Amino acid sequence: MDLSWSQHEIAFREQVRDFTAKNLPADIRDKQMHHRRLARDDYVRWHRILAAHGWGAPNWPKEYGGTGWTGVERLLFEVETFKAGAPRLLSFGLTMIGPVLIKFGNEQQKAHFLPRIINLDDWWCQGYSEPGSGSDLASLKTRAVRQGDKYIINGQKTWTTLGHHANWIFCLCRTDPNAKAQRGISLILIDMRQPGVTVRPIKTLDGGTEVNEVWLENVEAPIEQLVGQENEGWTYAKYLLGHERTGIAGIGHCHRELAILKQMASQAMASGESLSLESRVMDQINQVEIQVLALEMLLLRVAADNTAGPGPQASILKIRGSELQQELARLQMQIAGPDAWPYDPQWMEQDNAFHGPGGEFDLGAAATYFDLRKTTIYGGTNEIQKAIIVKQIIGV
Amino acid sequence: MDFAYSQEQQMLTDSLQRVMLEQWRFDQRRARFAQGKLDRQAWRQLAELGVTGLMVPAQYEGFGETPATMLAVHQVLGRGIVSEPVIASAVMAVVMLSDCDESNVKSSWLGAHARGDAIFSVAWQEEGERYGAVPLTTQLRREGDTWLLTGRKRHVWHAAGADAMIVSAQLDGEMALVLVKSDVLGVTMDDFPTFDLARCANVAFDSVKLDATALLARGQQAQVIFAKGFDYAITALCAHACGAMQYLIEITTAYLKTRNQFGQPLIHFQVLQHRLADMLIQQELALSATFVAAAALSEPSAHLRSKRVSMVKTEVANAARYVGEQTIQLYGGMGVTDELEVGDYFKRLVFVSSMLGDNNFHLARAQTMSVV
Repeated sequence: MDLSWSQHEIAFREQVRDFTAKNLPADIRDKQMHHRRLARDDYVRWHRILAAHGWGAPNWPKEYGGTGWTGVERLLFEVETFKAGAPRLLSFGLTMIGPVLIKFGNEQQKAHFLPRIINLDDWWCQGYSEPGSGSDLASLKTRAVRQGDKYIINGQKTWTTLGHHANWIFCLCRTDPNAKAQRGISLILIDMRQPGVTVRPIKTLDGGTEVNEVWLENVEAPIEQLVGQENEGWTYAKYLLGHERTGIAGIGHCHRELAILKQMASQAMASGESLSLESRVMDQINQVEIQVLALEMLLLRVAADNTAGPGPQASILKIRGSELQQELARLQMQIAGPDAWPYDPQWMEQDNAFHGPGGEFDLGAAATYFDLRKTTIYGGTNEIQKAIIVKQIIGV
Repeated sequence: MDFAYSQEQQMLTDSLQRVMLEQWRFDQRRARFAQGKLDRQAWRQLAELGVTGLMVPAQYEGFGETPATMLAVHQVLGRGIVSEPVIASAVMAVVMLSDCDESNVKSSWLGAHARGDAIFSVAWQEEGERYGAVPLTTQLRREGDTWLLTGRKRHVWHAAGADAMIVSAQLDGEMALVLVKSDVLGVTMDDFPTFDLARCANVAFDSVKLDATALLARGQQAQVIFAKGFDYAITALCAHACGAMQYLIEITTAYLKTRNQFGQPLIHFQVLQHRLADMLIQQELALSATFVAAAALSEPSAHLRSKRVSMVKTEVANAARYVGEQTIQLYGGMGVTDELEVGDYFKRLVFVSSMLGDNNFHLARAQTMSVV
């Protein structure tokens, strides 16, 4: 066992750091560091900058246009780009439907869709949850009925993150209504630019509208857009949810927010002293810092285990990562103190130079804390993740 | 001790509860907030029920009620997460004014407050300080028969809706409290919405001329008066949080009984039952801690009172955040939308964490209180 970074890993990290410093547009970095909302074009620009450099798909094998990086390299890439203020890479294409197509898609699907994901020519969203099917996803009701060489789809999906930007949705649909819950579900790729698709934004606690409801009324999909076998969609859905082992913990996010937290503490004053000199504040920051480093080490341990497929460790990473993201946001809000009180969602849409009545990082502090409550709910609630741990790791 | 409500307390809280259900519903609260300013009609309604006169001494047209009654009333107001300045004005400012010597000021302003015709805010926070009461830069100096006030206050709770402010300032190196009408020359405000559907403002005083009676207290007396008003306000805020927690637990329980997953209501899942039990435990102990604070308000030792109140605040703040966060978690995706009232309750409970001092502030404050 050797717990130090190798020469290669150190050099790789330098390379990522250097590239990001040179190529990340300043306006995008400013938005990200100040918790502003990114526009569609901000994501597209960053994706294409990476794609042009050959880094558009960090988690894909080289033969499909990916980087072929190891788990450790992917983690270093995430941490360094996030710390520098880069946007997250959209998971819907790169870590959700992409890997499913690579494993289960046919040659036509791979040839058509994969390059378009890397370049963000297609913006994908996820059609999983429904109003009555959250934790109990297998109870979903959206119907796909085969009619000649196409499916006719009817139903309603919800919590589709950034669905208002998307032109494609991968949808879990019931194709055999008589089969038991998990059986009879198919994974179908649907072009959203057609009549019958309605996207309605859902306003969230922070006043933002990143998530949506999607209605599908007599929407069509040619049978070529079925992924894998009909009625086997649940297998692919589970593969998709368990596949992304490193991303779900949000380690890059945690590192970036930790750095911002420290900066906020050094800038905030109480009784003529920097808050970063107050032992009560320092204790809290030191504690969350060591927790972030422990989470990173767990990620590295999981990433180094190349023999295992996507496994139940993902649940531990999801639980801890989501808790730490929430804790960091809470501490930032606490440091912002009274400067976190004034809040108007419209301020978040204003020019980067506008910081509201408080300090540089105070405007988005409460909004971020409220928004990140979602992390212990989405991607399978933490209660569901614990049930997975009990079943699959402890073996009850 | 007797925990049973008196007949008057029962009638008062019953009628307030009815008004909360009829006039402080989800849509009504939001509509009032959307107006962007204090709704005087709503304020008068609270006044008619006795809320604004509750802590005003009897000789100034008030009820001169006890901390116990205050707790009972603000608990009900918390169930309706009332956003009107009931704590800033009807508790904090009224308690401070009641202990001042200036009897002319008291009789005119306190009577008006009891009737619902006057609203106060207290301006004490400044740049470079977070929650502390010591004025750093705001200066008061004598000029002939009058006073001149210069300085800036931040995060003044409900300042824009107030008719007058109690402002802390330095006077010859001492702390002083002055009463400043909001509409006098030299007072300017930047008014903001706050994340919990209320408002606060940054207020600037540019050589504001005040007459001799504006000085409410100075030196030791000013510190004593401020600390007492602060402790009463914190206790009322804790009671408010307890009421909000109770309501949240009730509606969350009802929601878990109706929301089905895996073929059964969510309430059937043990992990969620235990979560509700934990929330209830937190709320019950927070309420009991608030009783401790209310009892401490009558302590002869101001240090012991402040120590108790500060530590209670940390307990209630932790409970409030726990209950708020877990409510969102139990509601799942629906909890993070802006479409249900649980979100508004959650935000108010989070606001309680830092309003009138966060945990670090109160831990430090309790530590400085020498108690024999």
